[in-house]
Amino acid sequence: MAADKRATRLGVLALVGVILFSLVGIRLWFLQTVRAEELQDSVTVSKTREVPLVPERGRIFDADGRILADNERVLTVGVDWQMLRKKADRDEIFRRLSGWIDVPIEAMEDRYQSDRYSPFLPMPVKEDVREVDAIALLERSEDFPGVSILTEWRRVYPYAPLAAHVVGYMGAITEEQDDQYRDLGYNLNERVGQFGVELSMEEALHGRWGKRVYEVDAANRPVRLIEEIPPINGFDVQLSIDLDIQQYAEQSLQTQLEQRRQFTAINPVDDGVPAFPGFPREVNYKAPAGSTVMLDHDTGQIVAMASYPTFDNRWFNAGISSEKFRELFPETDDPDQSILVNRAVQGQYNLGSTFKTFVAYAALAEQLITPGSYYQDTGSYKLTSIDDDVCASGVRCEFKNSICAFNGLPCVYGSVNAELALAVSSDAFFYKLGEEFYLRGRTLMQDQLELFGFGADTGIDLPYEYGGRVPDDESKEALVAAGVLRPGEEPRLLVGDNVQTSIGQGLLAATPLQLAVGYGAVANGGYVLTPHVVKALYEPGVPDGEPGFADLTLGTVHESRERSAEVRQIPMGPELRDPLVNGLRRNITGPGVNGRSTTAEELFEVGYPDTAIPVAGKTGTAQGQGNYPWTDSSVFAAFSMDPTKPYTTVTYLEKAGFGSLGAAPVVKCIFLALSGLVETAPVAMSDPLDPTSSAVARPQRLADTSCMASSDASERPVD
Amino acid sequence: VTLSFLQRRPDSGLGNIRASPGDPSRNIDWVLMLTQYALTVIGCFIVFSASRTRLDDPYAFATRQVVFAIIATVVMFAVMSVDYEWLKERARFLYGFTLVLLALLFIVGQLTGVDRISFDLGPFNFQPAELAKFTTLLVLASYLADERSDEVSYPRFLGGLMLVGAPTVLVILQPDLGSASVLVAMAMGVLLVAGAKPRYIALISVLAVATVAAAFIGRLVNQYQIERLRVFVDQETSNPQLQDAVYQVRNAVRAVGTGGIWGKGWLQGPLTNGRDIPVMWADFPFAAVGEQFGLVGASVLLSLFVLALVRIWRIAHLSRDLLGTYLCAGVFTMLLWQLFQNVGMTLGIMPVTGLPMPFISYGGSSLITYFALFGIVQSVHMRRMR
Repeated sequence: MAADKRATRLGVLALVGVILFSLVGIRLWFLQTVRAEELQDSVTVSKTREVPLVPERGRIFDADGRILADNERVLTVGVDWQMLRKKADRDEIFRRLSGWIDVPIEAMEDRYQSDRYSPFLPMPVKEDVREVDAIALLERSEDFPGVSILTEWRRVYPYAPLAAHVVGYMGAITEEQDDQYRDLGYNLNERVGQFGVELSMEEALHGRWGKRVYEVDAANRPVRLIEEIPPINGFDVQLSIDLDIQQYAEQSLQTQLEQRRQFTAINPVDDGVPAFPGFPREVNYKAPAGSTVMLDHDTGQIVAMASYPTFDNRWFNAGISSEKFRELFPETDDPDQSILVNRAVQGQYNLGSTFKTFVAYAALAEQLITPGSYYQDTGSYKLTSIDDDVCASGVRCEFKNSICAFNGLPCVYGSVNAELALAVSSDAFFYKLGEEFYLRGRTLMQDQLELFGFGADTGIDLPYEYGGRVPDDESKEALVAAGVLRPGEEPRLLVGDNVQTSIGQGLLAATPLQLAVGYGAVANGGYVLTPHVVKALYEPGVPDGEPGFADLTLGTVHESRERSAEVRQIPMGPELRDPLVNGLRRNITGPGVNGRSTTAEELFEVGYPDTAIPVAGKTGTAQGQGNYPWTDSSVFAAFSMDPTKPYTTVTYLEKAGFGSLGAAPVVKCIFLALSGLVETAPVAMSDPLDPTSSAVARPQRLADTSCMASSDASERPVD
Repeated sequence: VTLSFLQRRPDSGLGNIRASPGDPSRNIDWVLMLTQYALTVIGCFIVFSASRTRLDDPYAFATRQVVFAIIATVVMFAVMSVDYEWLKERARFLYGFTLVLLALLFIVGQLTGVDRISFDLGPFNFQPAELAKFTTLLVLASYLADERSDEVSYPRFLGGLMLVGAPTVLVILQPDLGSASVLVAMAMGVLLVAGAKPRYIALISVLAVATVAAAFIGRLVNQYQIERLRVFVDQETSNPQLQDAVYQVRNAVRAVGTGGIWGKGWLQGPLTNGRDIPVMWADFPFAAVGEQFGLVGASVLLSLFVLALVRIWRIAHLSRDLLGTYLCAGVFTMLLWQLFQNVGMTLGIMPVTGLPMPFISYGGSSLITYFALFGIVQSVHMRRMR
């Protein structure tokens, strides 16, 4: 054999070795010198891990410290996403966890595959685990790498559905809110207030996220705590709502609406022809909805605010299916059925005769009339500013008083001044003022009305407030442009519009809350206040007191909002105030004129003793679409004349008939309750929500309706 | 079998003159042996550093590795003590035994529906593919050495090809592409030295590539092997299915790179201590070396391998007979290839296979195989004077 040939071949082998080693050597050198820094950076970036620390949301109390919104600690088992990234690891962890937390492996895998969980928090595999199970898992943390127990808070409403519209509810952050909440440093997975105080006070209630920053090893296991910023819990919010009165108001509101559905409005027949063809002789009131609001007119605090139909705000945290949710809260275009609106601040209403108080004020303030000016009410008013031939061509020139039940004709009140016109609710008196204002200056009346806050937001600390509308050229033009009015309607304010406005009808739109603020300003001597439901913010962690109560005496007030800023002070000297207050007082007590009672007299003469809080008030009957008698909405506004009980109450019942028959009894009952003359049911914490129930809220009914009794026998319930 | 070199008689005062200079026991290549043990000791430390954080008992793998090394030592000395000519006579029997084991493994795998690369023998797993490295080399070298010519004739080349092909195909079917590549590399090395024409070598290369391609196309390989190859082709892929495979390699490269020149220090490597590199103690021990000891440490380690290779190469040169040369050439190629493959995949220049790093990786089968292979090299060296 030729050894040299073999040597050559071995040389080739050696050469291959040299080449391969060179490759390895070059690559090694390249990685460990040239790329070393870059690779080090790529490793260091992932060397810290942030664990967000959730703040506890502030609680919501009523004026007495009842806990209206509380937090329940929920322990959730979560697994670090890093640990789940690999299928094999995941299967292993899920397999181990499955028995401990009683969740099928497939269910956990489904959660892993779905994209609804935040990548910044461990993936929750089971919510609401028992404390002992959580501890058991933590004790075996060696066997459950990456498994952690998260403390979360669930919102509970111990007194639901009371004050549901005021307290509100929580929900997921919507797409439109994304940016806003991201800027505020929220985790977009959080639930936030979506209605009521939960929404309006969101930032105060929420608190601020804290975090723990860990240095982690490459396996993402914490090695060392680098930094801890504890979360700042949210402020506790005390409301001015007094749940005793709130419950009573909700009960009387719902009870009266249900009662009103038993009554009918008569379809008037003229010479055998029904005034509204196609309808039966009598039509039941629908009375689908209503609201009541009670304002402390000295401080601007809302003591009670009820809206019907109402809901149980626990549904929003009950984890119900979307089908169930739609069953409870059907999507509807019918405003009668809307549940998730607070009608007291969102209702867009005519105010009917309750508005006359402000028109009377405007006339006195503009010296259109004096307290002693009398006008002869003949049951109707004919416009003076429009020629007879124009009137003959079909333009409406004659405006009638409302119908008197005893003869079916427009009521005739004879000689009335401002006081009497308010007491008996003479339409003709105010029609005349409406025309005179229009002739004196197109915005003269409007300017005075707006002083009371009409046509602008009251600024209440509740969301979605409706600002209302005082009809003028501009607003009418907007309505015409929007196509809301009949086609061919002039895009400017006509004298007829002004006449309608003067009795609270036509294009006027206002909320019950605005009405309450307006009456409050009459009651308190001219202070138009910003109403508010938040009484105080407490430093986080007001301790519990008796069951269902927080002990406010142990809390520290962070910010008091006892007394609200006044929007403005308006002239309210005796020359302006006395005729109004006297008229409103006489509306309650009588006597009337011309043989007619005042509108609330018959109600208050039954069961409203002298020992009850003396009140002054005004009824209103707002005509609905089509002017059908059975679509009349019922309004009543009243304020206490006792300076130690400075309350103004407004009730508005939709499609429920005359103000004196629908809304006024509710207000009467509330004042009787405030006077301590009727028994109110004690406020109790609610039973747990039954997730199978189909009732959107537990019914609220008065045990005793005798406070609603009236001597007015003008209508009778149908069987 | 007599372990004669262990039974040296007491010194009679005149030096060990009873043994002739040609006595095998006086011709052990101590440099190679020291190198080999240095590598093995380093390997035990590396296994410890790469596995301690992931075990209940941090010493579990390192201890077992020491036990393996002791067993491997016994095996090596047994191989050293017998003449490789003696082994040659039993080559066919050993080869046949290996084929039976491989086939048995394949049949068991087919019956149970689970891919198998090892027999579970209680305390440890026995991988017939490791045995195949030894016996295939033995049978191939014996077969080629029978032709006393400078060049390999075509018929003999084909015969050699079939001898290597049979175990290779069975190993591919396991599927263990890494071990199969070692067999192919060994065959190429031996055939090259035996005087195969370049076109024969080319033919083997083509056959090897074709077999691997067929395995991939015929879906004989596992999903993870396909993923590994795809990752190797596109290392920056963002394909979520490939993230596990990408992750492994990326972290191995990071571990080596972050070691820098001097390394992070013994047990100070965050990636080694972490769990980012799966089965690091077996598949990526070089990453642990790179991270803890840096360029300097890795170079020292590689130098030891170079030293071992040089010694083996030298023995191939020194051998008086073809068999010895072929055996050494085979061991040389296997070690070279397997080292390159394992280190290459750690550095991201080779696709990932399960091939362990000789002497360093945790694992009894691999360690015993290389001890046996080095034993046969020693045997050649010891008997070169014959």
